[in-house]
Amino acid sequence: MRMSVPLRRLRQAPRHLLVCEKSHARHARSRHAAHVRDHAYNCRVSFLIPECGTLPEVLKSTIADVGEYYLLRNLSLHELVTHEFIDTFVKKGSCHALTYNTKIDQDNTAALLPTGKLILSVDKDTYEELGLQGRPSQYSGKKVMRYIITIDLMDPSFHPDSKKHKRVLWALKEKKPLEFDFLLAWCNTGAEGSTLMSYFPKNQIQTLKPKITFSTLRDLQCPVLQSNELQGKPEESCSTEELFEWLGAVLNQVSLDNKSFSFLSTYCCPQPNTIVEQAFLCTITGFIIPEAIIQLLEKLCCYFDEPKLAHWLTLTVHGFADSPVSWRESEHGFHKGGENLYNFVVFRNLDYWLQMAVGTNDDCPP
Amino acid sequence: MEGLLYGRLPAGAAEEELGAQPQGSEEAKAFVNAFLKRSMPKMKDEAIQDMLTRKAVVLEHYFKKKKKGNRKKTKGFTAKQRRELRLFEIEPEQQRYAIFLPLHELWKQYIRDLCYGLKPDAQPQMVQGKLLKADLHGAIVTVTKSKCPSYVGITGIILQEMKHVFKIITKEDKLKVVPKLNNVFSLEIDGFISYIYGSKFQLRASERSAKKFKLKGTIDL
Repeated sequence: MRMSVPLRRLRQAPRHLLVCEKSHARHARSRHAAHVRDHAYNCRVSFLIPECGTLPEVLKSTIADVGEYYLLRNLSLHELVTHEFIDTFVKKGSCHALTYNTKIDQDNTAALLPTGKLILSVDKDTYEELGLQGRPSQYSGKKVMRYIITIDLMDPSFHPDSKKHKRVLWALKEKKPLEFDFLLAWCNTGAEGSTLMSYFPKNQIQTLKPKITFSTLRDLQCPVLQSNELQGKPEESCSTEELFEWLGAVLNQVSLDNKSFSFLSTYCCPQPNTIVEQAFLCTITGFIIPEAIIQLLEKLCCYFDEPKLAHWLTLTVHGFADSPVSWRESEHGFHKGGENLYNFVVFRNLDYWLQMAVGTNDDCPP
Repeated sequence: MEGLLYGRLPAGAAEEELGAQPQGSEEAKAFVNAFLKRSMPKMKDEAIQDMLTRKAVVLEHYFKKKKKGNRKKTKGFTAKQRRELRLFEIEPEQQRYAIFLPLHELWKQYIRDLCYGLKPDAQPQMVQGKLLKADLHGAIVTVTKSKCPSYVGITGIILQEMKHVFKIITKEDKLKVVPKLNNVFSLEIDGFISYIYGSKFQLRASERSAKKFKLKGTIDL
């Protein structure tokens, strides 16, 4: 019996994408920093170093330097488009803001990118009431239930007397006041100015520190990797997909034993593998800005300056499942898990693999 | 008695009693002709004679043709002519908000009369029921919801209501033509705010007064 096309599509697994690229960390045209910078909202960074018992001091201080972030309660959205805010923060550094505890597939969500773009992802009814021009969401199907509004705060035509600015302010202040809890982070380059803490009232803003956990994994089975063999070679090295899968298992503490009596998982480490006596796993959770990740990646590359036993190490960064964007301004949605993450595998010779993965309702990573 | 009454007069009685004289047949003919001629001077002699020959009359129903008046009913312009003449368009120099403020005052008065004075404790259902049938020319309305975001926030006095559009003059003296479809309008009078779902309101003002609105269907845009 033939199945109609939409029914057949229902039986398929939802689409997911894994993009993989290889380059050298010191290569002049390497895009690793750009990729990290484009991924603005990161909620979890973890790195795994095989054959490492204690963390070098350099890395420790880098982790401690991962900046603090702020939680702003009940902030009216129009405060982010006032000129005072734009002049003090958006134009003088990179300002990251993301609504907290809002669900991308049912609530209104807002995000302020470091490029100065304010992105609102609003449902149909809010869009109709708001009166700001937007475009239908890419993943909404025939009957559009979600719209994306992009406001460029850095646009020179967005000056305080412009019609556009007045309209945006009117819409967000009088027409349809939207209130959110925001996660905020701001890093300015050099110039000292007022801080977010002093800008917003005390009872509204709260400073939070990223949560850092260390753990040492004993007798870990690690796949053997060769930097120039992305696809892997039978009996010699594992492919990137196999590594990605294995890494997911390790980060989630899935047992790799393949015991016959385990009903939860029969996953085992891909072949060929080696047993590593101890591996260091560090996880940082919070609202982490890309600049901190670039710094961390740089320090991790420096780890290989001195001869080490490890052949490679990994750095995995998870994005927020409910952020309206993944890379740059490409739309992000929550279909089954809302995953958007990337993973660096840095080899001893500073070659690296970059794996970028997204779920169903996502544009292809850059 | 009856026999006496209807019996013939005795011969000579008529002459004696009444002085009437019997006429000869020739005289009688001449008299009838003269009489007819006198009473119907317009008729021709032959026609009179014709009538007197007592021809059989054919009994048939014949329609009396109504006499058409010479004056033709003044016919209006056709829709096309109206459009060409721009009869219903407001001239640019007349498009000023201030001109239409008295109209708005008038409209407010009209609605108050319609709703029995519009007391603050009036039932909103009653007010809405009346507004539904009321004329909206002169009302101040605001577009609160729209599928097209550019329409949102337009406020002004309704100048014309057509089947599918409202023509609204804004405070900035701009004439805006706002379609009813996919728009929600809000209308405020003395603290009562009513929302008009334009998609369900696509009627001419005159037709609307007679229309029965059903409480059915979705009001989603």
